[in-house]
Amino acid sequence: MKNKLYLAGLALLSVALFLAHWLVFVYVPTEPIMGVVQRIFYFHVPAAWLCYLGFIITFIGSVGYIWNRSPRADALALAGADIGLVFGWIVMLTGPLWARATWGVWWKWEPRLTSMALLVLIFAAYWVLRRYGGGTEGVRRFGAVLAIFGAPNIAFVHVAVKKWRGDHPGGVVGGGLDPDMRLAFFICLAVLQVLFIYLFIERYRVIRDEEAIGALRRRLSRLKGR
Amino acid sequence: MSAWLSVFWAILAKDLRVELRSKQTLAMMTLFGFVLTAILAYGLVSDPATNRVVYPGALWIALLFTGALGIGRTFAQEAAFDAFSALVLSPAPREAILLAKILGNLLLILMVMALVAPLIAVMLHLNFTGEEAGLVALHLLLSALGFVVVGTPLAVMATSARFAEVLLPLVVFPLVSPVLISGVKGVGVALGTTTGDDPWSWIQLTLAFDVVYGAGGLLLFSKMVSE
Repeated sequence: MKNKLYLAGLALLSVALFLAHWLVFVYVPTEPIMGVVQRIFYFHVPAAWLCYLGFIITFIGSVGYIWNRSPRADALALAGADIGLVFGWIVMLTGPLWARATWGVWWKWEPRLTSMALLVLIFAAYWVLRRYGGGTEGVRRFGAVLAIFGAPNIAFVHVAVKKWRGDHPGGVVGGGLDPDMRLAFFICLAVLQVLFIYLFIERYRVIRDEEAIGALRRRLSRLKGR
Repeated sequence: MSAWLSVFWAILAKDLRVELRSKQTLAMMTLFGFVLTAILAYGLVSDPATNRVVYPGALWIALLFTGALGIGRTFAQEAAFDAFSALVLSPAPREAILLAKILGNLLLILMVMALVAPLIAVMLHLNFTGEEAGLVALHLLLSALGFVVVGTPLAVMATSARFAEVLLPLVVFPLVSPVLISGVKGVGVALGTTTGDDPWSWIQLTLAFDVVYGAGGLLLFSKMVSE
């Protein structure tokens, strides 16, 4: 029963993802000034939010892990970084495509772009550390400290680049937006949010399972050695 | 307090004495700095105005790379015979250990940069007024401090990871990028190549970074290392 419900939910999510693409590519009107490329925005902005969300979860999990060494908090942190990073790469890929068409350059040294790039770099380093650094307790602690150190860094970079100046479009989701565009945007946001939750829960479960298997393996090798 | 100071002093004096006798880290960092200088000079040397523009970037590249070499060897002495575990197990206050290591690393990096910074300037045919040179030195000092307060505690953590020598720069470089930006821009303003109000506002930013990360590292350090 539980399995069937799960599969039904997954099927629904697939349909919703398809619907989101249909809305973006067919339903919404083309923006008159920026043109077709503006359609990136329906995925770019939700992906940026979900990237932040993933890293916020990592930060909370890392604080928890440093506090009481709970393996659950560590799994939370790792899952948050993994899924946040997926959405982070989506932001870093779609952003330059839009920028090239609208600003005429692939990249600008601008507070939001720079701090996002830095966030992705820090968490890519976190990912490499956790993936290849070995699964010891020390590496988990290293990861947690890295995530905690990374948080104020974003603010520092933001301030530093702001001393240059910035022109990232902000607050475009206000009342000025075409109602069809707004509808499509919020549906995309909702669908991607559900996708995030699904991926996050699955990743969390896999991490916990890996830990359980690792513990069983260690026990087995102890028993054999005896 | 005096116990705290004696631990701090004992570790710092021990590290400096070992280093000044063997000169192993210092020699490696200095030679690496010279090699970097040569590469940067080959790659960047141009007309006098352009040389002035690229100088801060070249300088901060040298700082990061020689610095990474230095912090990677922070606990090289303690690695043998697992002396680090003994150090952590001892009743010595851990903050004193960290602070001694931070200061040791800072001194090493500053010694190397005191040679490398003028050398890059010479290779790029640059002339500075006294005030300009002073501002460059101040920026370098504060950036190096920011680098070691972030890098030293992470170097401790990296000892337990595989591929530590690759992972450490990978982790530390993004984290110190605020220092990189404000150092490079601040020196640019000081040398008159970057438009901007005054170099002191960039110095304040680096100083704020140093204070936040220095305090954060010290507060977290006893949680970072465990028995």
